[in-house]
Amino acid sequence: MSILSVRDVSQNFGATSALSDVALDISAGEQVALIGASGCGKTTLLRLLGLQTLPSSGDLTALGFDLSKPNRKGLREVRSRIGMLPQDLGLVPNLRVIQNVVLGRSGKRNVFGTIRDLLWPAKVEREKIFEILNRMGVAEKMYDRTDSLSGGQQQRVALARTLYQGAEVLLADEPLSAVDPARARDVLELMAGLSSEQGITLVVSLHQVSLAREFFPRIIGLRKGKVAFDGKPTDGEISSLYDL
Amino acid sequence: MWLGRRWLVIALGVIFVLCVARLGTSFVSHTPGSDPWASTIRFFSGAVTPSLVDQNPSLPADAEPFLSRLGDDLLRTIRYALIATSLAIPAGLLLGFFASEQWWPRSGVRVVFQFIRWPVRILLSLMRSIHELIWAIFFLSAFGDAPFSACLALALPFTGTLAKVFSELMDEESRSPRDVLTAAGGSGAQGFVAAILPMALPDMVSYSLYRFECALRSSAVLGFIGVETIGLSINRSFENGYYGEVWTALYVLIATVIVIEGLGHLTRKKMTSGKARERRPEGVSERALRKTAPRDWFLRSTGLGWLVVILMAFSVGKPLVTPMLEGQRVERLSRFLTKLTPDPVAPDQSLADWGERKDAWSDGSGQFFPWLADLWQHPGQEAVINTLAMSVAAIIVAAWLAILLVPLGARSLANHHPLGVAMSGSAIPKLVGGMIRAFFILTRAVPEYLYAFLLVGLMGPSAWPLVLALALHNLGILGRLWTEVVENQRPGIPRTVLEVGGSRLQSYLGALAPMSLNRFMLFFFYRWESCVREATVLGMLGVSSLGYYISIQQNFREYDDILFYTLLGAVLVVGGDLTSDLLRYKLRGKSN
Repeated sequence: MSILSVRDVSQNFGATSALSDVALDISAGEQVALIGASGCGKTTLLRLLGLQTLPSSGDLTALGFDLSKPNRKGLREVRSRIGMLPQDLGLVPNLRVIQNVVLGRSGKRNVFGTIRDLLWPAKVEREKIFEILNRMGVAEKMYDRTDSLSGGQQQRVALARTLYQGAEVLLADEPLSAVDPARARDVLELMAGLSSEQGITLVVSLHQVSLAREFFPRIIGLRKGKVAFDGKPTDGEISSLYDL
Repeated sequence: MWLGRRWLVIALGVIFVLCVARLGTSFVSHTPGSDPWASTIRFFSGAVTPSLVDQNPSLPADAEPFLSRLGDDLLRTIRYALIATSLAIPAGLLLGFFASEQWWPRSGVRVVFQFIRWPVRILLSLMRSIHELIWAIFFLSAFGDAPFSACLALALPFTGTLAKVFSELMDEESRSPRDVLTAAGGSGAQGFVAAILPMALPDMVSYSLYRFECALRSSAVLGFIGVETIGLSINRSFENGYYGEVWTALYVLIATVIVIEGLGHLTRKKMTSGKARERRPEGVSERALRKTAPRDWFLRSTGLGWLVVILMAFSVGKPLVTPMLEGQRVERLSRFLTKLTPDPVAPDQSLADWGERKDAWSDGSGQFFPWLADLWQHPGQEAVINTLAMSVAAIIVAAWLAILLVPLGARSLANHHPLGVAMSGSAIPKLVGGMIRAFFILTRAVPEYLYAFLLVGLMGPSAWPLVLALALHNLGILGRLWTEVVENQRPGIPRTVLEVGGSRLQSYLGALAPMSLNRFMLFFFYRWESCVREATVLGMLGVSSLGYYISIQQNFREYDDILFYTLLGAVLVVGGDLTSDLLRYKLRGKSN
């Protein structure tokens, strides 16, 4: 069953067109890689799927929520089920690890709830976060300042945040850009593992074509804001992607 | 640089010559028959013989001894500064929030939010553009002599500055964490509280501490219009020629300011670096990790300490509000309002009711604009130009001195291996560097107004003691800021100059200074803006400029005239503010 559905969506920023007539369906639990040259619209597509922007035209449905009829409450509710992992991870550097993770639940709290979570997190939540961090292999850093962690550890904290959020969909924007090549495989293994274990739908934008082929059964190629191919691409299709 | 460096230097030279032409070249103006040199020598000999006892021989035996009086004055100075800052910080935070755009949605109706932002920014600009001394003159006449009026007068412009800086700090923070929060369904308010605020907090705290340091100086200066702070005792001792007492008070003020500056420095360092984990727990469990979590006891204890002293400032000591009879307060305010109403449209009776005020307003409205034009013709116009010329001359003098002292003071150059290149083992550069940095600290610890008061007392009333006063204080600030710019510069090119046998000076002139010029100029304009603001009040010491006419009309309680000069000054400050913002905006694009 398709949980993310994009119908003839275009996105313009002023005079420039970032996406034009994109159509795709992603089913629950699918693992999808987005590839394409820089500026081809990967980040824009991810932001659309995460309901961060409204498309200039076309229809977008995510987790049963129709974006053409947005209402504030419904939008927040459905966003709380989608996890975003931006390229720079979006962690607050001078907060403790636990405080960053606890922010994953913002969609289910009000301002006062968030303040309470930051200053006096409940015991149940602390134990839950510990368990998640333990699984991510960074439990011993739970009460350390986030900026004292290495890049790889911070990435695990950001993943822990989406796990704590209980996201059904994880949208990751170039998660390998700040990871050294030797660890790139570990990161993808971790994400793919979580996805198949918990049935999380995974959409990841990547530059490394070989890794995309190795880990993702479905690859979507974007070229100048259009879908060039969708599925298992041939070598010819891939090289045409980068030939501008 | 968009102007060309050469042109900039030439332009500053030409502007300075114009200022000198305006302000005249009589640097010292003494009344005939006086012996200025004798008193100058006597004044400076007080520096080495500060007095610990009263110099007044005719004091009664049971009078409070000098040191105890000075201590009381200092405590009051600190108390008013604390009250003012603790009022200004929450107000600044609230207004700063509305002046910032960080909490706006990423898309949609952003235009609507501009309608909140701009009125707030204009309000902030108005609060800042009127000097605390002038707010104090207004508030003290309107509400009475209660020290609370003085605190409020300090708090108002400080709120404006804090809110402006807070909003800029928040706007400069990365938006990514906030976006993740809203992407997960959080609201704008949650994003602000949980992402923007924690990130901006270290900078906001250290800036607040800096503002407290400024509040201490301003609180001292309020002594010159009669508020019982350390400025008042300096004023009295100086007028009586008790220079030993003046120096003791100066040393006490300087020491207090330096302690606060040191505390601010330490707090900033602790907050930005964070504390590393010291203890590893035995087994990894949530409880064990929480118990051994790194905690910064310095920050916790100083935070608690601040809370305690703020509570004490509000509750301990003389009451903040002078007790007044029922109706007395209203009467006072009414009389003040009558005096504040422009002369042609003011009612005859000082206790007029609203109906009479309205009648007077409609009767005299024809006379209003001629009255305004008269004031502008004489002396408004001239006062504005003199004020502007003083501020410009001062900042240029400060910049000239600073640019010469910075290479000697920068830590990266002032040692025997500048930028890591071995030079002769002489200890002199390091010694000189330390002395120059100490000189910067001392010069910025004393407020402009206090310098001006002392210098006018020694040199006589001319524009130059005021220019010198502004220049001295700003030399300390520019020196510190510019030294930091040079120290933070990438060492590559300047190091090469040293490696091929160049001297420190060559490395500075040929590489470090040109590399730093844009940042130098950013701070130059930022300080010029504050010089304009300060110059509007320095004239109160008897030199033809806006402050001079304000102080004259204060004697006659002509608050309508004072309001006119105040607003002229505000226009000048806002103009300086906008010019400086524009120039800094132009420079910032190319400042890296």
